Amino acid sequence: MLRVADVERLVAGIEGAAASEERLGIVVRVGRGSVEETLAQLKVAGFNWLVDLLGTDTGEHVEITYHLRSYEAGQDVFVKTAVPYDGELASVWQICPAALMPERETAELFGLRLSGHPNPKRLLTTDGVEPLLRKDVAVRTPEEFRR
Amino acid sequence: MSDPRYEVYEAGLIGEGMHEPPVLPAGLRRSPSGVDGLRTEHLVVNMGPQHPSTHGVLRMLVEVDGEEVVNAEASIGYLHRGIEKLAEHRRYDALGTLMDRGDYVSGIMGELAAALAVEQLLEVEVPRKAHWLRSLTSELNRIASHLVWYGTFGLDTGAMGQFLYAMRDREAILDILEAISGQRMMFNYVRPGGVVRDLPPGIDAKIRAFVDGFENVYLPEHDALLGGNEIFQSRVKGIGVITREQALAFGLTGPNLRASGVRYDVRANRPYAAYPELEFEVPVGETGDAWDRYLVRMEEMRQAARLIRQLIDGMPEGPHAAKVPKVLRPPAGEVYAAVESSRGETGVHLVSDGSEHPYRFHYRAPSLFALQALEEIVPGHLIADVVMIIGSTDVMMGEIDR
Amino acid sequence: MSPLAVSVLKVLACLGLMLANGVVMIWMLRKVLGHLHLRYGPLEMGPSGILQTTMDVLKLLTKEDVMPGAADKALFWLAPLAVFVPSLAAYAALPFSSTLRATSLDTGLLYTFAALSFVPLGILMAGWASGNKWSLLGGMRAAGQQIAYEVPLLLSVLPIVMLTGTTDLGRLVEAQSGVWAGFLPRWFIFDPLLWPTFLVFVVAALIESNQTPFDMSEAESELVAGFATEYSAMKFGLLFLSEFSNHFIISALAVTLFFGGWLLPWVPEGVSASLAPVTFILKTYVGIFVMMWIRGTFPRVRIDTLMELGWKRLIPISLALVVVMGIVIKAMPALARVVG
Repeated sequence: MLRVADVERLVAGIEGAAASEERLGIVVRVGRGSVEETLAQLKVAGFNWLVDLLGTDTGEHVEITYHLRSYEAGQDVFVKTAVPYDGELASVWQICPAALMPERETAELFGLRLSGHPNPKRLLTTDGVEPLLRKDVAVRTPEEFRR
Repeated sequence: MSDPRYEVYEAGLIGEGMHEPPVLPAGLRRSPSGVDGLRTEHLVVNMGPQHPSTHGVLRMLVEVDGEEVVNAEASIGYLHRGIEKLAEHRRYDALGTLMDRGDYVSGIMGELAAALAVEQLLEVEVPRKAHWLRSLTSELNRIASHLVWYGTFGLDTGAMGQFLYAMRDREAILDILEAISGQRMMFNYVRPGGVVRDLPPGIDAKIRAFVDGFENVYLPEHDALLGGNEIFQSRVKGIGVITREQALAFGLTGPNLRASGVRYDVRANRPYAAYPELEFEVPVGETGDAWDRYLVRMEEMRQAARLIRQLIDGMPEGPHAAKVPKVLRPPAGEVYAAVESSRGETGVHLVSDGSEHPYRFHYRAPSLFALQALEEIVPGHLIADVVMIIGSTDVMMGEIDR
Repeated sequence: MSPLAVSVLKVLACLGLMLANGVVMIWMLRKVLGHLHLRYGPLEMGPSGILQTTMDVLKLLTKEDVMPGAADKALFWLAPLAVFVPSLAAYAALPFSSTLRATSLDTGLLYTFAALSFVPLGILMAGWASGNKWSLLGGMRAAGQQIAYEVPLLLSVLPIVMLTGTTDLGRLVEAQSGVWAGFLPRWFIFDPLLWPTFLVFVVAALIESNQTPFDMSEAESELVAGFATEYSAMKFGLLFLSEFSNHFIISALAVTLFFGGWLLPWVPEGVSASLAPVTFILKTYVGIFVMMWIRGTFPRVRIDTLMELGWKRLIPISLALVVVMGIVIKAMPALARVVG
């Protein structure tokens, strides 16, 4: 089992990386440019299994969470980064091929541009649908729908 | 075709614009061998979304060279209902109903994932009886879900009888679950804090009768009819091999992962509900082909029957739910809770801001990762195998599209 | 009556038999599959659903005939005929009794196989003319499968021809008359020399009649309805009527070659002769029942496994059987049952 200090040491060389122990587990926050490097470092340390990739609209930016797991250690690590609205989401498929479809979905539902991806097409919705998971896109009420 | 009726074809929805397959690191992608050395024209064939064998509304664009698949692309979204967005306007105890509509064949396990996440946020202690009831209904649901997989897998190969025999057993389970929860499919039984109601009187005799018949008579019959059939074995052995490295790289979980040799079961590695007190084995495969996935799921049904027996024999007394307020307002925080559903690790990543609506609800769907693995595994096989591989990975479009 | 009128009557009689067969067999298929699958099959129309097929035929006659825009119109029209007519023609040589048959052909066996061999042509036409990639795949599979298996099918019955010295279906049945040791009918199925032949014939026949486990060209769960996907109304009706008719013919051939045709053992000659057509048809329907039983149980074989089975195994085996039979007949001429 790795502790926060161990993870801190792993990502020490990466600029802007900070590890902390939160309710979720061990969370590493990095800048957008260092995500790939952080994931590669963690992969070398045994966290080669990407369990989940999701985005959250925090109100100021879109926070992307990469949920990694190490099978040998049986432990999870979360890497979080902030992407500005309408910004660019750099793909990490080279390191984690499991990110191929979740990245497409996150980019589509949050209105981000997906770069470095072999197939950056929309995944779940058709052309013309707004980035649904953004907070400023409202869910229609039944009355609105009926109209 | 300059006819305006064919515009939709020319707009690139059919065939055109198939993506170039990514060059995956370390040989993670299976490369087509070319059945013979002839340079022939590639045909792009569209499987689905209306097709008897794509499980749910899945559309696979498949580029074939004769009968061999060269490239495959999954086009999804036909069942997208915006579950994650809808959750932001519901209350916390309604999250289970949304999970029900995701993987609709394993409803209880989805509800359980949502309930566990909310309970983590609330930091509420769930009574022991509720844990046992949750596990009991989960295992019953697991057998029901695997029977659907078994039936449709047989149907894919043309064996129609096996499908109806599996449905006969599934009817027995759905009758039991209906007696317990009131519903055959969208159970809405597991809520944050516990379960909605206790077991009705007389249900344990019914459950025991079912498990006795299933474990001793019907499951061996299913195994003999399909698994013991040489034609089926020849169609399934050596097909759709997912190596251990590929499985971990693509984020697979559940029976697909275990068939590839990785022993990871959320019930064993991160136990929840009543599983710390129960005895069961985790079946692990060796080669990761479709035959191993078949064997792993059949063994899981046996283990589920064993678990049900333990659960019904040792059911404790006590309250079936903790006291939680009618309108849940968990303190702000972020949690991830996972259960082992019949398809893999179903996870709920929940962010709360202290109000009565969730701030962000994310449904980690195991079939999504299986589907993207399919895109890389399918090339190199024949068209007839594509259907078998999709069937063996047991993808459920409801949870992929959400 | 003029010979022309007699011929026309015979064709109409065969057509009538074909239609009656279709009606009975479709009902039987649905009932047999139903009961195998723990359900009832048709129940509503008539007692136990007997009138269901008649209603279905009426429905097909009144349905709209849809032709896809991308279809090849001439071939689309011709294909069902190209499948139906050979199927009808194959009834010509079947021996319903020692005197009752459409024509008495010396080369009856060869003629029946030749008539059946036109069917894959029709299926390929149907698959191509539909203008649908899936139908095309189905048609090509049919071409590969059914044409390829003509060879083992014919080779597998050669030992019988060698044994009796004739290809006339009527005389083949007569060679099986009488009993051994007072009780065992001299049907070829009870002749140990011909058991391997029977096995090869059964496999090849199942494949020729496009039945699960070998129904690749209409593999329901892969290609929807394969070559027949784009056909509707009566064209679809013709395609499937001919398919059921082929089942009947294959089963009838098996009965003629191995199960003694119209012969009824242990029964005086007069009774047997008068019951001959009924016996023949009943025996054929038992064979059809077994085919449906297999259909409802087995999964489907993959196309390349099938082609391998045919070219690499069945053909060498049937050739070897021909050689073996030749040696046996030369060595022990008493075993041969040369008729007339």
